[in-house]
Amino acid sequence: MIRQLLKVSLFLGTLLALTSGAYAQIVGKDTVLVADISEDNVGITTTFHGTNLLLFGAMTGEAGDDVVIIISGPDGPTALRRKERVGGIWINTQSVTYKNAPSYYHIFSNRPLADVLTPSEQDRLKIGYQHLPLSTDDSSITDDALGGEWKEALARTMRDADLWRDHPNAISVMAGALFRVDVPLPKNVRTGAYDVRILHFRDGVLLSEKFNSINVSKQGFGALIYRFAHEYSLFYGIFAVLFAVASGWLAAVAFRRS
Amino acid sequence: MYIYLPIAEVSLHIAVVIGLGGGVGFLSGLFGVGGGFLMTPLLIFLGVPSAVAVATEANQIVASSVSGVLAHWRRGNVDFKMGGVLLAGGVFGSTLGVWLFALLQEIGQIDLVIRLSYVVFLGIIGGLMLIESARAILRARQAGAKRGKLHQHNFLHGLPFKMRFRKSKLYISALLPFTLAAFVGVLSAIMGVGGGFILVPAMIYILGMPTSVVVGTSLFQIIFVTANVTILQSVQTQTVDFMLAGLLLLGAVVGAQFGSRFGALLKGEQLRGLLALMVLAVSLKLAFDLVITPTDLFAVEILK
Repeated sequence: MIRQLLKVSLFLGTLLALTSGAYAQIVGKDTVLVADISEDNVGITTTFHGTNLLLFGAMTGEAGDDVVIIISGPDGPTALRRKERVGGIWINTQSVTYKNAPSYYHIFSNRPLADVLTPSEQDRLKIGYQHLPLSTDDSSITDDALGGEWKEALARTMRDADLWRDHPNAISVMAGALFRVDVPLPKNVRTGAYDVRILHFRDGVLLSEKFNSINVSKQGFGALIYRFAHEYSLFYGIFAVLFAVASGWLAAVAFRRS
Repeated sequence: MYIYLPIAEVSLHIAVVIGLGGGVGFLSGLFGVGGGFLMTPLLIFLGVPSAVAVATEANQIVASSVSGVLAHWRRGNVDFKMGGVLLAGGVFGSTLGVWLFALLQEIGQIDLVIRLSYVVFLGIIGGLMLIESARAILRARQAGAKRGKLHQHNFLHGLPFKMRFRKSKLYISALLPFTLAAFVGVLSAIMGVGGGFILVPAMIYILGMPTSVVVGTSLFQIIFVTANVTILQSVQTQTVDFMLAGLLLLGAVVGAQFGSRFGALLKGEQLRGLLALMVLAVSLKLAFDLVITPTDLFAVEILK
């Protein structure tokens, strides 16, 4: 409820900024694009179960203009493995490690991407996961050897995990001036910096582009455990054992008397 | 209420986690087993990464073994000398197992090896237990059945480094329990179990220990083997989820009490028969998963 109210007030705030003094500043020869996110510092706390962010903004556009937003999460090595039946059971037989696959890649637009701009423009502007500049760790595996099947499989498995997604009609644009979109961060998001790219198109031509970022980090008690486990791992292990011994002993004593 | 597990990096409902601890705790109290062989696969089914499931379960077994060993210790049913030899072997084997685990994880075959180990070892133990308990139930119906010898002598008793284990009434080579415990230690580290389900029958049938001291001695050595796995995994892979272990423990402590009270109402051979069926069910479920065609032949894993 509070979140909904916050979203509405943020949206109204943008509207006010546009209609009042701020409007004068952004009207010019060049188009202007401003945007903000309801939360640019997302905390993964103990009760985290995925979240939705509100991304909203304004532009000097006209009715019929398009907005495309790409949010891409921390890059890292990602293994893709393929199973084959060997002696009756399914075993991973082939695998590829992509060195720089984004762990989160969501594309939002106000209408299907194919209607907004041509495939060659998508390629030039690096929009869409087909156009990600992926590289593998093994030079013997060329794109040719992998074929389209592996890249398709990567996109499919990432989509099934809610990590790579297309949202073709998710952005609502009002009077070519205001836009807003709900950005889902699934429960399995990685921590790190997320790049936000906002693009304003008219008849398939890019008018302006704006960059923003979101930071996702572990917070609270969970973050404390994580840091303890990684920075003082030996003490963490000893502590975990001592805790187990103490609680096992306590349980035995407590239930013997009752 | 959902809880985000900081090391497993998955969000699970808190009632599911505590309920799982309670359910497995109930069964472990009922049958007098650690329950690792049920808990680890169930955690993996829930989406906990296998490395985290195995390491965290080792941590939890430390607590349940401490809890269990105290009662046996009070009754004098722990052979500390035998336990010492076993734990030396177990620590050696589990250290090797943790190393092997990391290697298998790197080449992307850990899930296969975990599943295959479960299918093979649970299948064998479950099958043997089922046959044994069926015989016992039948024998109980025919009154006056004769008892066999305490244990047979074979070539294993000719090995060097002979030691006298007074409590176990044995004079055997220390190499035998050491090797046995080392083997179980490797499995313990890979499967996320205490290993009691292999060690206990092996101590009875291979070493020839009297049944009265077997469970206590096995629990005694499991404490050290699982503590070793917990510390090694903490240092090498940081996969011990303290929050997950704590929540499972909370459920397991209570569940085990109910289980052991309920277990007192059933006969020993009936309990062993039920346990055998459960062990076989887990083994079959995992075997089935290996055989059926997966919905997607490809699987993705975001590496650290």
